[in-house]
Amino acid sequence: MECRVLSIQSHVVRGYVGNKSASFPLQVLGFEVDSINSVQFSNHTGYSHWKGQVLTADELHVLYEGIKLNNVHHYDYVLTGYSRDTSFLEMVVDIIQELKRANPSLVYGKCSDAAYVPENLHPVYKNKVVPVADIITPNQFEAELLTGKNISTEKEAVEVMDLLHAMGPDTVVITSSDLPSRLGDQFLVSLGSQRTVHPDGSRSTQRVRMDVPKVDAVFVGTGDLFAAMLLAWTHHYPNDLKTACEKTFSVMHHVIQRTISYAHELAGPGRRPSPPQLELRMVQSKADIEDPAIVMRATVIS
Amino acid sequence: MECRVLSIQSHVVRGYVGNKSASFPLQVLGFEVDSINSVQFSNHTGYSHWKGQVLTADELHVLYEGIKLNNVHHYDYVLTGYSRDTSFLEMVVDIIQELKRANPSLVYVCDPVLGDHGSMVCWHEHNHTQTHKCQFFTEVMDLLHAMGPDTVVITSSDLPSRLGDQFLVSLGSQRTVHPDGSRSTQRVRMDVPKVDAVFVGTGDLFAAMLLAWTHHYPNDLKTACEKTFSVMHHVIQRTISYAHELAGPGRRPSPPQLELRMVQSKADIEDPAIVMRATVIS
Repeated sequence: MECRVLSIQSHVVRGYVGNKSASFPLQVLGFEVDSINSVQFSNHTGYSHWKGQVLTADELHVLYEGIKLNNVHHYDYVLTGYSRDTSFLEMVVDIIQELKRANPSLVYGKCSDAAYVPENLHPVYKNKVVPVADIITPNQFEAELLTGKNISTEKEAVEVMDLLHAMGPDTVVITSSDLPSRLGDQFLVSLGSQRTVHPDGSRSTQRVRMDVPKVDAVFVGTGDLFAAMLLAWTHHYPNDLKTACEKTFSVMHHVIQRTISYAHELAGPGRRPSPPQLELRMVQSKADIEDPAIVMRATVIS
Repeated sequence: MECRVLSIQSHVVRGYVGNKSASFPLQVLGFEVDSINSVQFSNHTGYSHWKGQVLTADELHVLYEGIKLNNVHHYDYVLTGYSRDTSFLEMVVDIIQELKRANPSLVYVCDPVLGDHGSMVCWHEHNHTQTHKCQFFTEVMDLLHAMGPDTVVITSSDLPSRLGDQFLVSLGSQRTVHPDGSRSTQRVRMDVPKVDAVFVGTGDLFAAMLLAWTHHYPNDLKTACEKTFSVMHHVIQRTISYAHELAGPGRRPSPPQLELRMVQSKADIEDPAIVMRATVIS
């Protein structure tokens, strides 16, 4: 498999968020990953302390120029994550548009983070980023924010996903929602929608729904891992969102379960694990990343 | 295995040098790798063009401070590579000394990256037209032990190989201090096939893999070297085959084409088939 991903995300010295969360699993699955670190921090911002440096839009452009001058700016996928800087985000969009001209079949996957960014960035996401995206992974809040429409039923979720398709991306996964799960309140509902345009010009949409076990902990980096794994599994199952979602959600489950067990072991009985203790057990999950045992089924919905 | 490495090396957007070369293989072998990127460049400096930014000694210190403030500055290994900045290197040394106080059994793996074939000198005059004898290298390694490190690997030398001129000789020496205070030194020699290409990032991969295999074989330099040199061989062979395929017949591969086939070599990294034997020497 010769598949090259450009990932523009944060770097943390310690832990698993951004590029640290996305690179290793993609490499383990055989993807070549070129990574531009948008920041370099000691650790993620959920710890008591964090320190580091950010990349400016100009510095990002300089790095991209280096790649372009060597004529190696050919990518199959671009993956981006969190950004808090308008000019940086706009530079990212410029780069992606140029890469898409170099390779029209390039797929741009954008992971969710709109909930954490300042309000002034919302228009940039809505008007510039989402329109060039091919895969997006918003949570319910972000999906509602982007479309201006509420989700209180599965039917409304489908309408919101159709609105998101109309904005650009052919693949939309609402990673979590507060829709009631038929399996009870220990589960949350995720939904996915993939629109395909056929050679004759007709369109079809595959929609799926998953009931995902809730976990009583706050994880950081799981969204970045999810987007990376959805990229990988939609690559291997381009016309089968059901299977791509089952693989992706299953690998998330294995990593999260391993992480939470270890975190509780470190914290001791009756104590809530700390952010350092809750870092994803990424390298320990290599086998699950390579070949995730399917532990939840997606239901195809109309 | 709970083993945490702090790796302070370069980052390139594309390709495999520095941290890009060291992190993936160590993670594949189950090591936790914390990485401080000393620079971020588009690619290594052997390409026609390269662009990027460097980390200053102060910025390095700030990152380390963040780790320390969270009380997570506990490492089993530190790995460093190339640096062109005195103040940066001095900050690295300060950090390592502090980490060693926090964990006295920390092991610092250092690739001195001073040059090759006499282009830069460490402490000893080296005339590259003179063929050295094995005993010279044994003395060199003992002198290096006396300077600090208990494990020394001379990755390549101009000693003649008994297997002919398509091979180069590498040597290793590991000094152990026993509980009764006595010392012993295991020395090994390997004949390594030469490859007609210039690779970048292989030294960084070598240091990372030597870290991993001496970790698993702490008192057996022979096996650690066999594993390390074997994985290098597999990665290099895969890389050169692919590079020639890309370049086409009769053409020398370019730097982008010669990037190490790292992700494709995962199985070899995890469990390298031994393809060369180390000879124990006195």
